[in-house]
Amino acid sequence: MINVEPTLNDLQVMQFIHNGYITLENIVDADFNKECESVDGGRLNDFVRADEFRRNVLLHPEVAGVVRSLLGANFLVPTSAHHHLFQAPHRGQTWHSDGITEYGYGITHLQCYYYPKAVKIEDGPTMILPGSHHRLVDREAIAHYGDILGQLSLTVPAGTVAMTRYGIWHKAGPKLNADRRGMIKFSYYRTAMPKRDWARDSDEIPPYQHQGRHPYVTEIESYRDRRRGELTWNWLCGLTEVEEPIPPIQMFNSGIPLSEIQLQS
Amino acid sequence: MKGGTCVKPAINDWLDSCIEKLNAGELTETDLRCVTDILAEKKQLILYLYSKSTNLRSPLGGWALYDATATDEPVLPSQDAPYTSVLEAVNDGWRIVQFPRPELYNFTDVDNAYLTYEFILEKFV
Repeated sequence: MINVEPTLNDLQVMQFIHNGYITLENIVDADFNKECESVDGGRLNDFVRADEFRRNVLLHPEVAGVVRSLLGANFLVPTSAHHHLFQAPHRGQTWHSDGITEYGYGITHLQCYYYPKAVKIEDGPTMILPGSHHRLVDREAIAHYGDILGQLSLTVPAGTVAMTRYGIWHKAGPKLNADRRGMIKFSYYRTAMPKRDWARDSDEIPPYQHQGRHPYVTEIESYRDRRRGELTWNWLCGLTEVEEPIPPIQMFNSGIPLSEIQLQS
Repeated sequence: MKGGTCVKPAINDWLDSCIEKLNAGELTETDLRCVTDILAEKKQLILYLYSKSTNLRSPLGGWALYDATATDEPVLPSQDAPYTSVLEAVNDGWRIVQFPRPELYNFTDVDNAYLTYEFILEKFV
């Protein structure tokens, strides 16, 4: 099996549990970004199954290192993707989570956004709401929400990959110009129960450290976030018996185990 | 939004038309009186405010303005709340049309869901 080293440590995993996302800026090779800039919008299954895409993006050591840390060793590597391509100005999408929110305490599914081209605020960047992956909602029932304190516009350099816990609230932000803005979205899935799969300084498991209160969150909600974070941390460390469906439902995307991938040299 | 800074697009259109006619020497009393018709047309604005508690003085965590009179142009997101609290919005002429009712929330020890506490306000302009 291709060797993938975990890149996150205890603190970074706790931060991911709290925020629901991590961004890896400017990590993909500039020439490959250029190739991806011009691909058509829509489904990109054949494109992402090619060795070149796997080598440059899906199995990039920093991307795969985060996946290895959060989903364990033999994770499912994406075999499907969707290119979300916008050009004309628009008012932006409404806040939503994708598909059926996967709301368990475990982390079994990472949804990723790859930006081959730099995204400025006028380009209608993807917006996410940190911490919202903990909230079980009907996506149509949050469509009237507007600005939320702490919302984040992913204005990023070319070659950035944002990795999110499935269920995080997101949307395409308002787009003021007519420049092409693309984002290739794909998902990784867990195949085995967790056992503290990230880089460790010691075998002693530290207690969960709550990472603070998101700006939009009320006091009681921050207590709940803290408790929920502890449950997720314990699950990821293999300390609880809570069952999660593994691999989780793959409603829109598919993958194959890392162990079945062989890259041509 | 604060202080009634919303200007009807229809007023702007009327003003542009008057200036054009003025420059052409064609402005009439009838043209000027048209503004009274425009001002008589009141439209409802809707403002959602998400308060940090049921107290009207609490700070806000989110907001959304729906203005049917505004243009459909995209507007950049903001992190500056239009008011510091629901009470400040009321002081600026907004009327509360729906109060949050805590007994309708599904209270649990662990799980959060929708944004709380949702006040819906209206103003006629």
